Amino acid sequence: MASGRGSWASVLVAANLNAVRETMDVLFEISRILNTCLDMETLSICVRLYEQGINPKALSSGIKELRKVTEALKALKM
Amino acid sequence: MATPDQKSPNVLLQNLCCRILGRSEADVAQQFQFAVRVIGSNFAPTVERDEFLVAEKIKKELIRQRREADAALFSELHRKLHSQGVLKNKWSILYLLLNLSEDPRRQANKVSNYATLFAQALPRDAHSTPYYYARPQTLPLNYQDRGTQAVQSSGSLGSSGISSISMCALGGPAPPPQPLLPGQSHQTLGVGDCLRQQLGSRLAWTLTANQPSSQTPPSKGTPNAVSRSMTRSRREGETGGAVEITEAALVRDILYVFQGIDGKNIKMSNAENCYKVEGKANLSKSLRDTAVRLAELGWLHNKIRKYTDQRSLDRSFGLVGQSFCAALHQELKEYYRLLSVLHSQLQLEDDQGVNLGLESSLTLRRLLVWTYDPKIRLKTLAALVDHCQGRKGGELASAVHAYTRTGDPYMRSLVQHILSLVSHPVLSFLYRWIYDGELEDTYHEFFVASDPTVKTDRLWHDKYTLRKSMIPSFMTMDQSRKVLLIGKSINFLHQVCHDQTPTTKMIAVTKSAEPPQDAADLFTDLENAFQGKIDAAYFETSKYLLDVLNKKYSLLDHMQAMRRYLLLGQGDFIRHLMDLLKPELVRPATTLYQHNLTGILETAVRATNAQFDSPEILRRLDVRLLEVSPGDTGWDVFSLDYHVDGPIATVFTRECMSHYLRVFNFLWRAKRMEYILTDIRKGHMCNAKLLRNMPELSGVLHQCHILASEMVHFIHQMQYYITFEVLECSWDELWNRVQQAQDLDHIIAAHEAFLDTITSRCLLDSGSRVLLNQLRAVFDQIIELQNAQDAIYRAALEELQRRLQFEEKKKQHEIEGQWGVTAAEEEEENRRIREFQESIPKMCSQLQILTHFYQGIVQQFLVLLTTSSDESLRFLSFRLDFNEHYKAREPRLRVSLGTRGRRSAHM
Repeated sequence: MASGRGSWASVLVAANLNAVRETMDVLFEISRILNTCLDMETLSICVRLYEQGINPKALSSGIKELRKVTEALKALKM
Repeated sequence: MATPDQKSPNVLLQNLCCRILGRSEADVAQQFQFAVRVIGSNFAPTVERDEFLVAEKIKKELIRQRREADAALFSELHRKLHSQGVLKNKWSILYLLLNLSEDPRRQANKVSNYATLFAQALPRDAHSTPYYYARPQTLPLNYQDRGTQAVQSSGSLGSSGISSISMCALGGPAPPPQPLLPGQSHQTLGVGDCLRQQLGSRLAWTLTANQPSSQTPPSKGTPNAVSRSMTRSRREGETGGAVEITEAALVRDILYVFQGIDGKNIKMSNAENCYKVEGKANLSKSLRDTAVRLAELGWLHNKIRKYTDQRSLDRSFGLVGQSFCAALHQELKEYYRLLSVLHSQLQLEDDQGVNLGLESSLTLRRLLVWTYDPKIRLKTLAALVDHCQGRKGGELASAVHAYTRTGDPYMRSLVQHILSLVSHPVLSFLYRWIYDGELEDTYHEFFVASDPTVKTDRLWHDKYTLRKSMIPSFMTMDQSRKVLLIGKSINFLHQVCHDQTPTTKMIAVTKSAEPPQDAADLFTDLENAFQGKIDAAYFETSKYLLDVLNKKYSLLDHMQAMRRYLLLGQGDFIRHLMDLLKPELVRPATTLYQHNLTGILETAVRATNAQFDSPEILRRLDVRLLEVSPGDTGWDVFSLDYHVDGPIATVFTRECMSHYLRVFNFLWRAKRMEYILTDIRKGHMCNAKLLRNMPELSGVLHQCHILASEMVHFIHQMQYYITFEVLECSWDELWNRVQQAQDLDHIIAAHEAFLDTITSRCLLDSGSRVLLNQLRAVFDQIIELQNAQDAIYRAALEELQRRLQFEEKKKQHEIEGQWGVTAAEEEEENRRIREFQESIPKMCSQLQILTHFYQGIVQQFLVLLTTSSDESLRFLSFRLDFNEHYKAREPRLRVSLGTRGRRSAHM
């Protein structure tokens, strides 16, 4: 029983995972089109943060800032 | 379920930082703190934004980058995303992606500006920078709330002492000096360096910036706030002291002012009727001036808008006015389109933040240049609006037309375009009128006015008039008169002549299908095309009208009939009529009956050539008895009459008919004199033989004859004058004119001229009243003579009769054997003869008085004739006095006639 449930659960989980993976693929594709230079990992973190209810504008600004910092540091190091 | 999902936000954030920075966890402490701060400070509740909006924006962006294939791909992906219900906040991620997207075409301007950004924002100490805390709005990260950089800078305390570049210097060719990392900068840089850097940066700024910025306060070392959005400062954000207005704020204001809405800083000052920048703003003079110059556009826009709004409420404005407002609306729409382009430009910069470079941002100077042409247009329109205040209809069209007379081709083409729209209703009125005769002009805009109270009998004369104020200035007076005539003729045909022929049969004309083209014709080819149309319509309509009048209503025939009957043209008929009427008319006027006279009239008609006239004409001939005054005989009240109705009455109006009757009266009287004298002459002939046996009468009779001859001569000359010089000549002229007439107005005018001439020449007008009285006096004398002669003849004949009777009796007695004549009888006879012979001198003297009287009157008449202004009357005096018989007697007549053959009136 439990295993049945478990198998069901796992199936569900699997299905869910699939859906999640598809969504992430789609999003990655979009971000590629838009030249956002986000990689998959960052994107997934962002998605998770959004799902937890962060202010979207704040996060996007934050990411921009961080990128700038990166650039600056890179420039300094050059 | 999965472990990542359970991570707290902080952890996630740290991971994020690691990934982006590419460092290990330990190194990102500062940045992490910073990020936390960033995010924490802006924890505003999420606005419910539309996912589709963002998707649309993305698509637009892609298309703008000319990547349509990618746009299609994105749509596909978005659909897929949408179909999956995994994500709750799709909008947010899309928003993020949009914001992070970069245009591959654009160079990344990753100048060390970011470093300064970074430098400034990052405190040495995580909790140090007081200003940072105090004014979270200064964070340039908040897109909605981009604090005014100037505001920030003016208030910022510049703790780090690092000069920063002003906002405008993004991507400048001369990169500002590299700011250092915070830790190092603060310690190593001294004030001098700081200043130098600042100076350098300002220099850099002035080199790169091509627009004045209002944000460089010349304060010492106040770093301008970092920015991504330089010119995108918002109107708000005035926290503290003197308000510094940035150019960006001004630009926004100006864009509102362009539409006539008060901006934050630039408001309409009603007292001076202009836009003014708020006084307490700290604004450089050049900016202020530019702003005010741009605000003029708003003022012009307001003026035009006010006009159109007012007029749209005015219900009696009319079609021309409405088309004018429509034209203005069109122009305003173009203007609004420009404004929306500017707005969208502004919006674009708003949304895209830092990615835009300096070149495409909106500045006041740019606005000046871009709005130069629209300003000219608006100026022209505003001038038009001013000029057209309070006008409507054709007047409005004239006002607009006045403005096409300008040398500036741009303005001229604009005004011509408006004029063609405005004149379209006028032209459509015009065409309706000249082709259908219909006038539907509720607002009284057309220059033909119709008076609805006039009935059909006065239709031609009174119903339609020209409204002179509404004649547009591009139509001449001649054209407008013709237009009036054409429409009048059509209406006349329809209503009075009951001729319902549609106009297209009358006028072989093709209605133009494109009124705007006509308008163009009107203005460019004024002489030919438009004029040609009017002329053709005029010619055809008038010709048709005259045809109808002549054929169906025999206008010319009636005119000739008037001549024959009322102006005594048909001599035999008149003579016969007079013969028949003579016994009737001698009776007092009160005993006359109209039907008797009418019967006599008909007899006369049947007996003479008048019977060959058409029955239509004879039907209208009638007898009319004038007003009876006491003591009148029939002669004084008799008159002929001619009935007119329908279209004929338009030409022979009531006034004309009364004129005719007056002339008839005069002519009839003159004719009667002639008739009387003929009778006298007849009497002479008849009785001369009889009275030859009475030699004592010969003196009297001789006097009679002489007087009669004088009178005959006089009357003959008068008749000649009347018949030939007055009637025939005028009639000839009238007939010629009528034959050549092109329209009914010509005929009416010629006819009235004819009547005027005869009236004045027959001494019937007011100027010749004295002459007329004299003439009447002459006529009276003639009648006196007739009476006197009748009396003489009666007496003479009676005497003759008696004598013959006496002789008869004598003979009778002798035959009977008695004394032929007894003494008593002879005594009586002699007594009677003696009585008779004594009465002869009385008769003589009577005749002499009559002669004297008559001659006096004639002399007076002659004097008056020679002083009259009419030439033919003067020549009449010559004829009347051909042997200077009167001249010998009248000293006044002997005075020379002067150079112009005319004596002065005062002698």
